[in-house]
Amino acid sequence: MNQPQALAESVRARAAWLPPNTFAGFAVAVLAVVLISFFSLRAVEARNAAADRVQRTVEVLDHLDVFLSFAKDAETGQRGFLLMGEERYLEPYRSAQVELPGQLSSLRSLTADSPAQQERVKALESALAVKMDELARTIELRKRGDVEGALAIVRTDHGKAAMDRIRSIVSEMDQDERRVLRARQDAWESVTSYSTAVTTGGSAVLLFLILVAAFVASQEYRAREAEAWVRAGQTGLAARLQGEQILETLGENVLSFLAGYLGAQVGAIHVQDGTGFRRFAGYALPAGLANDVLRPGDGLAGQAAKENRVFHVRDVPEGYLPVASSLGQGEPRELLLAPAAVDGAVQAVLELGFLQAVRPQDVELLRRVSETIGVAVRTALDRTRLDELLRETQRQAEELQTQQDELRASNEELEGQGRELERSNRYKSEFLANMSHELRTPLNSSLILAKLLADNKEGNLTPEQVKYAQMISAAGNDLLELINDILDLARIEAGRVEIRPEPVPIARVVDGLVAALQPLAQQKGLAFGAAMDPSAPEQIETDPQRLGQILRNLLSNAIKFTEEGEVSLRVSAAPGGQVAFAVRDTGIGIPPEHQEVIFEAFRQADGSTQRRFGGTGLGLSISRDLARLLGGAIAVESDPGKGSAFTLQLPLSRAQAAVPQARAPGTEPLARPARRSAAALPARSAVQDDRGRLSPDSRLVLVIEDDAHFAGILRDLAHEMGFQCVVAQTAGEGIEAAITYVPGGIVLDINLPDHSGLGVLDQLKRNPVTRHIPVHVVSVSDRTQEALGLGAVGYAIKPVNREQMVEAFRKLEAKLAQGMRRVLIVEDDAGQREALANLLGAERVEIVAVATAAEALDRLKAVTFDCMVVDLNLPDLSGYQLLERMAAQEDVSFPPVIVYTGRSLERDEEQRLRRFSRSIIIKDARSPERLLDEVTLFLHQVESNLPPERQRMLKYARSRDSALEGRRVLVVEDDVRNVFALSSVLEPTGAKVQIARNGKEALDALSRSLGDPAAGVDLVLMDIMMPEMDGLTAMREIRRNPQWQKLPIIALTAKAMKDDQEKCLAAGANDYIAKPLDVDKLLSLVRVWMPK
Amino acid sequence: MGAESFDIDMRLFVDAIYQKYQYDFRAYAADSLKRRLGLALSRFGCETLSQLQDRVLRDPASFPALLEYLTVQVSDMFREPASFAAIREQVVPILRTYPSLKIWVAGCSTGEEAYSLAILLREEGLLERSLLYATDINASALQKAEAGIYDMERMAAFTENHRRSGAKSSLSDHYTAAYGRAVFDRALKKFMVFSDHSLATDSVFAEVQVVSCRNVLIYFNRELQDRALGLFHDSLCHGGFLWLGLGESLRFSAWAEGFREMAPAERIYRKAGA
Repeated sequence: MNQPQALAESVRARAAWLPPNTFAGFAVAVLAVVLISFFSLRAVEARNAAADRVQRTVEVLDHLDVFLSFAKDAETGQRGFLLMGEERYLEPYRSAQVELPGQLSSLRSLTADSPAQQERVKALESALAVKMDELARTIELRKRGDVEGALAIVRTDHGKAAMDRIRSIVSEMDQDERRVLRARQDAWESVTSYSTAVTTGGSAVLLFLILVAAFVASQEYRAREAEAWVRAGQTGLAARLQGEQILETLGENVLSFLAGYLGAQVGAIHVQDGTGFRRFAGYALPAGLANDVLRPGDGLAGQAAKENRVFHVRDVPEGYLPVASSLGQGEPRELLLAPAAVDGAVQAVLELGFLQAVRPQDVELLRRVSETIGVAVRTALDRTRLDELLRETQRQAEELQTQQDELRASNEELEGQGRELERSNRYKSEFLANMSHELRTPLNSSLILAKLLADNKEGNLTPEQVKYAQMISAAGNDLLELINDILDLARIEAGRVEIRPEPVPIARVVDGLVAALQPLAQQKGLAFGAAMDPSAPEQIETDPQRLGQILRNLLSNAIKFTEEGEVSLRVSAAPGGQVAFAVRDTGIGIPPEHQEVIFEAFRQADGSTQRRFGGTGLGLSISRDLARLLGGAIAVESDPGKGSAFTLQLPLSRAQAAVPQARAPGTEPLARPARRSAAALPARSAVQDDRGRLSPDSRLVLVIEDDAHFAGILRDLAHEMGFQCVVAQTAGEGIEAAITYVPGGIVLDINLPDHSGLGVLDQLKRNPVTRHIPVHVVSVSDRTQEALGLGAVGYAIKPVNREQMVEAFRKLEAKLAQGMRRVLIVEDDAGQREALANLLGAERVEIVAVATAAEALDRLKAVTFDCMVVDLNLPDLSGYQLLERMAAQEDVSFPPVIVYTGRSLERDEEQRLRRFSRSIIIKDARSPERLLDEVTLFLHQVESNLPPERQRMLKYARSRDSALEGRRVLVVEDDVRNVFALSSVLEPTGAKVQIARNGKEALDALSRSLGDPAAGVDLVLMDIMMPEMDGLTAMREIRRNPQWQKLPIIALTAKAMKDDQEKCLAAGANDYIAKPLDVDKLLSLVRVWMPK
Repeated sequence: MGAESFDIDMRLFVDAIYQKYQYDFRAYAADSLKRRLGLALSRFGCETLSQLQDRVLRDPASFPALLEYLTVQVSDMFREPASFAAIREQVVPILRTYPSLKIWVAGCSTGEEAYSLAILLREEGLLERSLLYATDINASALQKAEAGIYDMERMAAFTENHRRSGAKSSLSDHYTAAYGRAVFDRALKKFMVFSDHSLATDSVFAEVQVVSCRNVLIYFNRELQDRALGLFHDSLCHGGFLWLGLGESLRFSAWAEGFREMAPAERIYRKAGA
């Protein structure tokens, strides 16, 4: 029953004065008393009546005795008198005479209720009268002295007869009365026992009623007490839930109150959270309970949540855990599991454990507070959510703000750069414009002098010398043209070009141009002409000089790039009140991707084109900028091989043109940040080198070596062999120098002060600018395998002799000279093979395509390749077997391999392939593109293979490190790149490397090794961040097994913080090394920890 | 309190945090950090940063709450759907050519981005060969990410974003709704690794084909941005993809030359190769 209803009823009960139950009880009691009284009264009355009747009968008997006695007295008195005649004997007679009638009437009245007795009384009366009469007569006779007469009368026996009769009647009556008496006594007895029964029964009923009343009263009292307790509990809990509480506090308050109030020993409360119920507070819970999420229907608490009712569990099994409740250990005897629900939706589930028995009111209280707690939990959740929303909003605002900051910063930077660029561009343009005079003056004089010489007026020059002079003159003219172009462009950009618009008759301009260029066209045998469209306007308001310059430029370009056919100029009206000048040719055309480039200053579609046709390539840029200044534009349409059409569109009047000022966007390529100049380099190294006096076309070698003496030797050797030489003494300087000078070759020392030489090699090979540079490594330590793996062309171990170094330079030289790159394609499908060859074929690339692994091996034996593309499905061997064969066979070179396969690979397949191939490509829509990309990458790298004899030498050298020979290292790492790097460092030392891709696999591998002593793992390198099972967990698991307590584990992690290191050590690592891995450090760590 | 002394306080504050908790906010964008610390002050009821510092140093339990303010956890699923569409159209076809894929979601926050990518990969049939590393410095955010439970109220927006990203399935195929929450498919998590990783202090951990780091760099100063981009560059394979947020750009970065633009509008770059 809910509360308001209960309240209303209690009010009604108070108005009715007594609770109905009590009232009914009282009514029953009153009725019982009335009935009992009534029956008792009746019994008493009956008993009294019966007693009366007995009394009367007794009286009758008494009277009969008295009567008979008087009768006898009378007779006795008569006889005495008769005998004696003395008067004194008559005394009894006389008293009888007086008494007898009274006795008789008494008898009559006493026996009035019995007709038979009345009859007998009547008979008695008559008998008595007879007797008394006889007596009286005899006595009279005696008195008179007639004794005989009296005796005679006596002798008649009449008197005796009467007397007998009296006796008989009296006896009869006596008997009758005695019978009646017995009957009446019986009746009385029965009435008496009835009365007793009524009294006893009534008492019993009353007693019963009293007991019932007492019981009911006690029940009601107890119920009221329990109710009051429950209500006090509700009130108390409500008080504890007041105010804004966060969920956790709320939970603790609920639990501490309920546990205290109900006397529970342990408790927990779970809140509805997505799929399940998460414990958010506990009361006296044992520490370290893992299971803090319940699912609905999961265990008892889950079931309570699902059914939304209170569960009462008695006899909780020993240990409790088997009940599958989240309370875990702890052994309460009884449990209460109660949902807290609002509107039927369960918000939370309470669990309480008791050492004592649970009372019904405990359950009731939990039932009643369900909603209170539910509402409180929901409110707290809502509040939390609201809070989260607020913070989310704040965060979003923050993000927006930050993005704006970033944008603003970018803009500022952009503006800054823009301004900077503009300024420097302007300086440059101004400088160039100012230079015009300085440039032209000397050039002019040399032109004039050359012309004078060429004219040979004196006639004293040989024809040869005249030709030279003509060449000087021609070259000078070209130079002048170039300077003019550059200056024009600079002036336009610097805003120095003034536009002087005037009305210009178009026909005149066109005619002038045709006349001027006709000879040029004729010289090349081209048809050349101009046509005015009827729609064309007659005149245009523009700067005639600039218009002429643009058109001349376009026309002379057209003539220049056209070998045969025609060049034409057509003038027509264009939409928007403009006029179009279209210059068409039937020349070589321009591929679409170059159509933008041709307008950009200092860029040419193809260097070779320029070389073939001469010119600066600035004409179009100038034209476009001028066209812009005139308020128009130039567009190009072209079909390579068929010809091009350049169309200049200009507004008819200047007013139409919104004049863009000074800097034209077409100059943007100039804005590219200049490559770092040599001047930006740090101070030149201590070893004298050629950096200050480099000549552009000579071969350059970079020596990266910290030992100044050895560097000097290398420099001298370089000079001897015709190289220029730059020396860098640190890794940083070396990389800088490599990027700046892009030398033809590098000699690299491994032991550098600031960074490992292998790191330098790696960086050089990763940088597209320096990737192609062949690097030869020189070192005191043997890092041959890694260095070659990273792409060095050769390796020399110090001390080196002169011949070795000469060999090294020869190798660099050979690499430099080697123009042709070779690619081996191994693909069984002929169509594919051809397609690949076409795809990869390029200038200076030789493609060798074979169909089988055997052929591939043959080819690899014969020549070295820069790159190899292999399909996994081959007719004779699988691609994988081919690679293994290549690795095993010493007479076969091993170029960088790209696996190109049509099927997707399992992870371990991929892992195996990665040992041989750095690049695996799955055939798909976009794979040709990627293949091309990867092959290009490898072609720009230097080959990393060595001639066979060299490889044998390496094998010998590498076996020196016996500490690791034959030892097994388990590398637990999921990243293929690192696996590759680690194997290539460890395997050359003779260590056997076993790979596991995550913690689980590592544990499996270790377990397997337990059974097989030959496969025993000596040391583990453990990555931390891995799928399935991370490194920390894996190390803990490993340490859990007593057999692996002493197994050395070195953790590899990308984390740099102190506490990460501690975490690793705490999890069971013996040592720790941070990524990216330093090869030296790693190897020495492995040596240190490797069990002896 | 003058702006200048706040700046000094802030430097000391982030330094103290770094010393004590090894969380490095020293190279975070100052303006933004300043605003967030302002919010944190009012939340913690402190007048000055020194007060807050005092409290956080002495009471490690209060640090997680502060961390919520220091890191900005804003994320949506399929945020900027056009970018996801670009990934689908331009990047996925190339990803198909890799036998196995690794994807690094740097600064994954509460995981929305990582799940979005996982769902996208599943739709494209690539999930089975993929592994997503979702990293962040905020442990509580990572926990949420790992749980993969989001409020049902957000699902409408997520669904709309998903649809606009060129969805090939219904978003609801990938989650189960219960009790006003949406729980993402556990099977997705099989291909995800959630891990603590700081772009400010930690280094590269794997070679990946895609790095997604969207709307994270904006909170860094230029120097830290360059560090992070350097990590991405090192981590990416040749021709790998870098995906930034719409407000971010490589333009002024030291690594601008290390990448080439692929879909500039969607901020998708490729590691520059040969």
